[in-house]
Amino acid sequence: MAKIFIDEKLVEAKDGETVFQAAVRAGIHIPHLCYHPAFVPEGSCRMCLVEIEGLPKLELSCSTQVREGMKIFTQSEKVGEARKGTLEFLLAEHPLDCPICDKAGECKLQDYYKEYGLFESQFKEAKEKREKKVRIGENLILDQERCVLCTRCVRFLNEITKTQELGVFERGVRSEINIYENNLVDNNYSNNLTELCPVGAITDTDFRFQTRAWLLEKGESICSLCSRGCNIFIEYNPGFARIPRKKRVYRLKSRENSEVNEYWICDFGRYGYKYLDEERLEKIVQNKNGKQTVLSWEKAYLVLVEKIKALFLRKKISRMAVICHTGLSNEELFLIRKIFGDILQVEKIFIADPPQGEKDNLLLTAERTANRRGAEEIGFDFKPLDLEVIALKTDLLLIFGHFLAESFSLSDIKNALDKIGAKFLFTSHCSSLNDLVDIVLPVALVAEASGSLTNVDGKVQRYSPVLETCGDARALWQVLLSLAKELKINYKYFYPLASSEAILKQMGNEIPFFEKKND
Amino acid sequence: MSPEYSPQTKKKIEEIISRYPKKEAALLPILHLTQQEFGFISAEEEKLISNLLGIKPIKVREVLTFYTMLKRKPVGKYHIQVCSNLTCSMLGAEKLMGYLKMKLGISPGETTSDNKFTLSTVECLGACEQAPSMMVNFDYYGNLDREKIDDILEKLK
Amino acid sequence: MEEKILTKNFGQKNFHKIDVYLKKGGYEAVRKALKEMRPEQILEEVKKANLRGRGGAGFPAGVKWGFVPQKVPKPRYLCVNADEGEPGTFKDRYIMSHNPHLLLEGIIITSYCVGIHLAFIYIRGEYEAIAQRLEQAIAEACQQGFLGKNILGTGFDLDLFVHRGAGSYICGEETGLLESLEGKRGYPRLKPPFPASIGLFGCPTVINNVETLANIPIIILKGAEWFFKKGLPKDGGTRIFGISGMVKRPGIYELPLGASLKEIIFTCAGGMKEGKKLKAIIPGGMSAPILKADEIDIKMDFDSLVKADSMLGSAAIIVIDEETPILDVLKAVAKFYSHESCGQCTPCRIGTSWINKIVRRMADGEGERKDIDTIIRLASNIKGKTLCPLGDAAAMPILSIAQKFREELESYLPN
Repeated sequence: MAKIFIDEKLVEAKDGETVFQAAVRAGIHIPHLCYHPAFVPEGSCRMCLVEIEGLPKLELSCSTQVREGMKIFTQSEKVGEARKGTLEFLLAEHPLDCPICDKAGECKLQDYYKEYGLFESQFKEAKEKREKKVRIGENLILDQERCVLCTRCVRFLNEITKTQELGVFERGVRSEINIYENNLVDNNYSNNLTELCPVGAITDTDFRFQTRAWLLEKGESICSLCSRGCNIFIEYNPGFARIPRKKRVYRLKSRENSEVNEYWICDFGRYGYKYLDEERLEKIVQNKNGKQTVLSWEKAYLVLVEKIKALFLRKKISRMAVICHTGLSNEELFLIRKIFGDILQVEKIFIADPPQGEKDNLLLTAERTANRRGAEEIGFDFKPLDLEVIALKTDLLLIFGHFLAESFSLSDIKNALDKIGAKFLFTSHCSSLNDLVDIVLPVALVAEASGSLTNVDGKVQRYSPVLETCGDARALWQVLLSLAKELKINYKYFYPLASSEAILKQMGNEIPFFEKKND
Repeated sequence: MSPEYSPQTKKKIEEIISRYPKKEAALLPILHLTQQEFGFISAEEEKLISNLLGIKPIKVREVLTFYTMLKRKPVGKYHIQVCSNLTCSMLGAEKLMGYLKMKLGISPGETTSDNKFTLSTVECLGACEQAPSMMVNFDYYGNLDREKIDDILEKLK
Repeated sequence: MEEKILTKNFGQKNFHKIDVYLKKGGYEAVRKALKEMRPEQILEEVKKANLRGRGGAGFPAGVKWGFVPQKVPKPRYLCVNADEGEPGTFKDRYIMSHNPHLLLEGIIITSYCVGIHLAFIYIRGEYEAIAQRLEQAIAEACQQGFLGKNILGTGFDLDLFVHRGAGSYICGEETGLLESLEGKRGYPRLKPPFPASIGLFGCPTVINNVETLANIPIIILKGAEWFFKKGLPKDGGTRIFGISGMVKRPGIYELPLGASLKEIIFTCAGGMKEGKKLKAIIPGGMSAPILKADEIDIKMDFDSLVKADSMLGSAAIIVIDEETPILDVLKAVAKFYSHESCGQCTPCRIGTSWINKIVRRMADGEGERKDIDTIIRLASNIKGKTLCPLGDAAAMPILSIAQKFREELESYLPN
């Protein structure tokens, strides 16, 4: 530990730390472009220069190691002049693209100019001309004029994905970043470059010209498209009263978590945001005699409870089956096992997951559901699902999730379901499965509810709702609790479980793995 | 058809690679040899070098485009490089360049239609005591005036 | 005439051939160093001699060698900086072409002292003929047992290779040289760590200029005291001063450190050409701030020039006459640094280019008074803020010209 002073404030710095790292922990902001905590310091942008007592020149905070008693000044006049000077150089050769640049509102040059610049341009010469729409990836466009040569993109592809698709060519002010021949940036992490780029040089074609950064709200959530559980930000348009909006979610961004995804998310997860808005089921629909009727939750509970009671009281619960999936939260899986497995004694509880995919060597897991590990820890049994067998001996089937359609053909499913008396489907999306059941009920996604997921490494991550539920959709754990209330089972047990936190705490009391996971 | 080094060049390349503790360090000498052999370094030669050293072709191009002497496009048989730095320009380099432009009928950066001469301006050649100086391929010529230039051009077959 | 050290045998026929060299007492220094002295003794001697770097920075060679850790289990390397890119400089070309074996001796002794078994001469790409001459000299030295395995039967091994650059001034900066030698773009590195601990391929490395190493043999033969008596107590030995521009006899002149600038210009080089009048002098290669005609009464050593707000640098004197417009001088300076900037760090990449654009506009007759202030401001924003010394090397001469010759620059403006 070393005691240093930053702007006359005492800071306890770790040995071997840089001035920048110590400043970050002390909450002191130092402007920077080329520095990124994931990479070795480069020292080329020169924005992070600070004054250190006893040293004649300004020093880079990103690469200068702390020493006991060091006195650092980040707001002195010399530092202010240096920052202005660097900004002036950067802006001199930077195109005036703000009105048409997607990065506006979240651009480092804009931010730093506002904080440290505010000078009139003295540049009267002709700016360097370069390509403005270089396609460097499937969804990536590079504008070489906007590029400030911080080389974060090049270093990301060198050090993290190790695919080396980008390089710096030419020399001096003619330097430019580009791909080689037609070798596009083609890996599952390519769109981290859009986030990494501090300016609008690298843009995502998916987001390009769609909206403005300041019109979006941001919420913390967890990606649910594989078992990694990468931490994300969901950026959405909250909408205006009385004005219909085109879409809700515009993009996902990575959220730093040193234990899960560090600073990145994969493209597969990043573009999964469309799943949040497309083909959403908004109403409870009953299919009867070829007619479709919208039901209320109260009515739906009535119907379901009647069917369950009918079997339970006649000791025919063996004629009930449940199919769920491991994308459900810890709380939802726990409630399913508790209500159907433990209390109602349903034996036929199956898991129907989407098929596994290719894992990559960074974040993406082969399991394409978010809570496989959670299901294992809660005690689910992954026995194989035989539709025919179920069809023969089942009068009441509850299906959670639409993944059945990914493992079986529609005709097989129809054949099986036609033999079953009553079928209820709890799902978030419209799919071909919806017409094959009696009642389909809309449930919320991870982004719209609270709960927790267990990732592949056993880390339990809690999440809170970011988006509103669609139409009449409700969080499944709330639906299950309502169902328990309507069934009038174990009132004393279920009544206190009024929130997802309470459920997780209860899980901790019953399953050792979940002890202390709700801190 | 992909280019191939001559057997002598291949041997020389192998010897050069063996000098360095890391193969990649041989890139610059190999680029020189490649330019000598093929006249310039196009994408095909980049591929050749990349296979030789086990590095990606993008790395070859990154290095290639950094250095002034390495060419990505063909140059004429005689590359006339006239120094335009301080001492040479004080001692009349611009006038001499004007004379060369007139004699050859091309401007700096261009090649004569018979591919014999390419004209360029370069920075300090390290021959300031003989200013104004120029380099034709790798041969230095100094203390230039119009007669000397006429003489030199004559002798360049 | 004082005794010449480095240029003693320049001009003698075939002196670059080892048989001629040996006949004149060549490789005696290597013999003495390897057979009679221990590495620590050599280091002491070189430190005592106050031999300062002859490339431009003037860092004491002995001190630099002393920084190399001996106990680290990594190989050590020597890189000879023969890039000679500083405009106005051509002295190393003479040494390597007329007396290559002197350089080789210096390399061998230095390597023996620091414990180096692999050395490279990084020579600028344009010096192709010189590179060939060096390779011949190395081959001859190998044949005669001065290089390779078990040199002179002492058990000391040393391999030496020539590595040609390809046209880049920044590769004369020591860490730019290392990057280039490793087969990469010549981007200078952040310091610390310094090459003495982490250099070529991550190993301890010594980088010395050609002329610096060429002085080692005489220090071994005649001793440190003899050496610094030849120059000044703090700056031992002689310098090969290169002089070019508007003088009668441009060329190289070896004189002791502390020689008078006026003597070099008016005696050695014969004074101004064709009756021209002196306007200004660049004393140490283009990166050295300019001196006006009334500032040339000065001794050519490291400290005197620093006191005059300039630097000795590569001891390359450029003589500018009254008829040469100072705007042309500024044009050449701005163009050079803009062309040679590696582009890695913001101030140099954009600043040198911006200044170049302004000067070009001024030279095209479209300058304004404000432009000179802008140039001064931009150059001040480059100075001290860049990743490597090229930023300062660009900023300081431009500042000195814009400040000292402001009136003349203003006279070129349209109104």
